[in-house]
Amino acid sequence: MSKNEQKFEEKMKELESIVSDLENGEIDLDESIEKYTKAMKLVKECDEKLKSIEEQVSKMVSEDDEVKDFDIASN
Amino acid sequence: MNNMDVEKYLTVGALTKYLKVKFEQDPHLQTVFLKGEISNFKAHTRGHLYFSLKDETSKINAIMFSSKASKLNFTPEDGAKVFVTGRVSVYEATGNYQIYVDEMMLDGVGNLYIAFEKLKKQLASEGLFDEKWKKPIPKIPERIGIITASTGAAVKDIISTIRRRFPLAETLLFPCLVQGEYAASDIAKKIKQASTYPIDVLIVGRGGGSIEDLWPFNEEIVARAIFDCPIPVISAVGHEVDFTIADFVADLRAPTPTGAAEMAVPHLDEIEQHLQSLSIRLKETMRNRLESNRTKLNHLKNNYLLKNPERIFDTKKQQLMILDDHLREMMVKKLEFEKIHFNHLKKSYIFKNPDVLFEGSKTKLTNIKHEINQKIRYQIEQKKQQLISIKKHYILTNPSTLYESYQIDLQHFIEKLDVMNPLHLLQKGYHLAYQDQHLIKNIEDIKSDNLRLRFYDGEVYTKIEKIEKEH
Repeated sequence: MSKNEQKFEEKMKELESIVSDLENGEIDLDESIEKYTKAMKLVKECDEKLKSIEEQVSKMVSEDDEVKDFDIASN
Repeated sequence: MNNMDVEKYLTVGALTKYLKVKFEQDPHLQTVFLKGEISNFKAHTRGHLYFSLKDETSKINAIMFSSKASKLNFTPEDGAKVFVTGRVSVYEATGNYQIYVDEMMLDGVGNLYIAFEKLKKQLASEGLFDEKWKKPIPKIPERIGIITASTGAAVKDIISTIRRRFPLAETLLFPCLVQGEYAASDIAKKIKQASTYPIDVLIVGRGGGSIEDLWPFNEEIVARAIFDCPIPVISAVGHEVDFTIADFVADLRAPTPTGAAEMAVPHLDEIEQHLQSLSIRLKETMRNRLESNRTKLNHLKNNYLLKNPERIFDTKKQQLMILDDHLREMMVKKLEFEKIHFNHLKKSYIFKNPDVLFEGSKTKLTNIKHEINQKIRYQIEQKKQQLISIKKHYILTNPSTLYESYQIDLQHFIEKLDVMNPLHLLQKGYHLAYQDQHLIKNIEDIKSDNLRLRFYDGEVYTKIEKIEKEH
């Protein structure tokens, strides 16, 4: 994951805040369409992330910062 | 008492020796493992240690010879809980039995408890446990750091729980020692190492064990490393009942390693459900929004005027006509009103008799005139009266009396003048000396030799021969 990409939790938080903004109905229609588009994009991204159950491997970091895969079954 | 009877009696020494042999023949008393609390501690100058060991019910004297005492790795003191190894025997001189201590060590648990309480109090007073330092644990972490032993139940529990609940999260294990002398510094070191990685939350812990096993998590170096760690830390040491200093400093305490993993990550299902509900709410609210806007739009579209735009002008035209009529009417009325007003003025009394306007001023003017005349007449009369009274004055009617009195006065004056005439003095023989028209009254006045003397009947011009000043 690149450092610049918004984190999953941040996406969820932004999504939550957009939904409650829209539900409050205080923004005008043009803006709400813009927000809706953005929110739908976030839903899609989060959903893809959740569906891509590409299980993360466990890793182990050695004293000299060498990162290796770590298999709990073999230990 | 006969001889036979006397032989039955033992000496104190014999009994004591007998007892001592009994003690020393008993294998149980030759190697004794004893625990108790030190009291009456005395260190002899030769290096022997004398003290008692006691518990709630009993007490035994103890001696540790200098050869054994020199091997101690701590300084015994009253109140210290200790484990000792030794043999029990009798000291013949006093007849007391006592334990001859070969080895002595501090009772770990008792002393660890004291150390724990001391450190806890100190760190608490420094504010390390304060709520204000507790960092929030992220709800959906993507990378989780784990600091524990690479083998054992703890690491398996943590990783498998994370996998099961939230497989999207990546786990990074920083393996460390979790018990023994070097564990504390190793744990602290790994916390520092982990804080250089982009980790969302850090789990620090180990599985259950004895208080000594868990001890590294009670060390100050670990407490400070957790406190200084910029990443939120969840502590997971031992079982539910085990509380360590690390638990107090951590941002969140988990009862077990499995518990820590459950606290660190959400369940994937929960997130999916949450996302789905957000998505539904999003679509719902937008649909409602659009629906209500569409209704509004339709309403407007169906508006009578929008459908019959010419009607807009009809009404306006009508309004204009009404206004125009109104305006005309108003103008006519206004003109009529002014005309009436004008006629009224024309017919008015003043207009026909403009003199009336000046009547008031005229009267005022006459009044002023009259007033002035009166004042002048009055003043003339006054002056007249004054003149008459002056005319009637005695002197004016008898001017000669005034002259007579003057004559008398003049006669007096002439007589007076006559008396004062200096020439009368000259007649008596006096004369006056002059120099350049100035009368010489004293010697000081003399400015030259010439002198003019005035006599009654003429003048003499002479010269001064000598001046003799008196005084």
